[in-house]
Amino acid sequence: MRSGGVANGAGAAASRPGHEVYEVFVQSSALEPHTHVGSVLAPSAEWALQVARENFARRGTAVNLWVVRRRDIAATPADDGDFFVREFDRTYREVSGYSDNARRWKRFKARAMTMDEVMDDVRGG
Amino acid sequence: MTQTLYTRFMARIERGEKIEAADWMPDDYRQLLLRLIHMHAVSEIMGAYPEKEWVPRAPTLRRKLSLMAKVQDEIGHGQLLLRVAEDLAEPLGRTRDDLMRDVMTGRVKFHNVFHLEAPTWADAGIIGWLVDGAAIITQTALLDCSYGPYARVLRRICAEESFHMQHGESIILTLAEGTPAQREMLQEALERWWEALLFFFGPPEVTASARKMMEYRIRSRTNEELRQKFLSRYVPRIRAVGLRIPDSRLRFDEETGRWTYTEPDWERLGRMVRENDGPKSRERIGLRRRAHEEQAWVRDALVRAGHAAMV
Repeated sequence: MRSGGVANGAGAAASRPGHEVYEVFVQSSALEPHTHVGSVLAPSAEWALQVARENFARRGTAVNLWVVRRRDIAATPADDGDFFVREFDRTYREVSGYSDNARRWKRFKARAMTMDEVMDDVRGG
Repeated sequence: MTQTLYTRFMARIERGEKIEAADWMPDDYRQLLLRLIHMHAVSEIMGAYPEKEWVPRAPTLRRKLSLMAKVQDEIGHGQLLLRVAEDLAEPLGRTRDDLMRDVMTGRVKFHNVFHLEAPTWADAGIIGWLVDGAAIITQTALLDCSYGPYARVLRRICAEESFHMQHGESIILTLAEGTPAQREMLQEALERWWEALLFFFGPPEVTASARKMMEYRIRSRTNEELRQKFLSRYVPRIRAVGLRIPDSRLRFDEETGRWTYTEPDWERLGRMVRENDGPKSRERIGLRRRAHEEQAWVRDALVRAGHAAMV
């Protein structure tokens, strides 16, 4: 783990005197997380927000923008896959680990439930 | 040490992994990418000039609005690409100002089509339809580029180009549906642009650097493959709207499955790009220089304001 050089960027040195690289995150609606979309070069955070709006929010919707100085971001190296390695089977954490439920419910003449169906039922009123 | 890094790098390339800006990369990978992306960035910016010339003269308010949106997109694409280029240039000690100054000193080239005149509204239409069409083909061919930052920016650019595609077609369709004078204007514009469009994809020979770029998976198709794609997509549509392509040798060879065409004048058009001596090269570079110099005080003021905010 290191700071000052994020996975999608190079070093932290400004490419223009008095400027810094800011990473840009756009939130497209209040229920969506902020998503990284790219970076801008700007002399201040305030100006980075202006440039980010012009570069990344000309179309579509945006309800919020974040700009973060690249050197303030800590990231895992992009070329180190080991950090995310799965040492053993983790299907016990996932829906796919329980695919036999549907077959077993059949014996009891009932049906397996899904999350989607519960959400539709509860929210649909 | 370098040998091990190189072997590891090539193994990543061959596994189809994306390379990021902070990763180790061979010098020639960096140089090839930088040259490609720098030219791409500058071409987006210089490409806005022929179209911006038509903003004050657009025939309707709607056309004016859409043309302004397009010009803004091209400049925006230039900015996204410059960010990618300057991260690559940083270890070489080159900054954004250097990359922009290279346009004025002729150290970086931009696409041949942006050195040419756009004397009529039909030229603006041909630019929107066929020049953008050709650019879309070369850009989509780079979407699988092994360099992650470039591939991500290209996805955004291509999404916006889909508007440009419709915009260009709309202008052409209006002229093609119009009066005989409008159709004649369109025909004349096509005749002015045809040779330059064929040139746009570059020479058919696969150069050493093109081969290296394929090895590094920066690109995967040759110039000629892309030119053939362009011809297959656009020749039938150009003919469908009743236009005549100014090349009596143009035909599709059923046997080879390829288009044969009269080669553009590689020497003359190549010189235009190398020496910036197209009909509009000097004037547009002059406008770029003026914008760069006259806005220097704004950049300085922003830096001072940024410092003031920090204390």
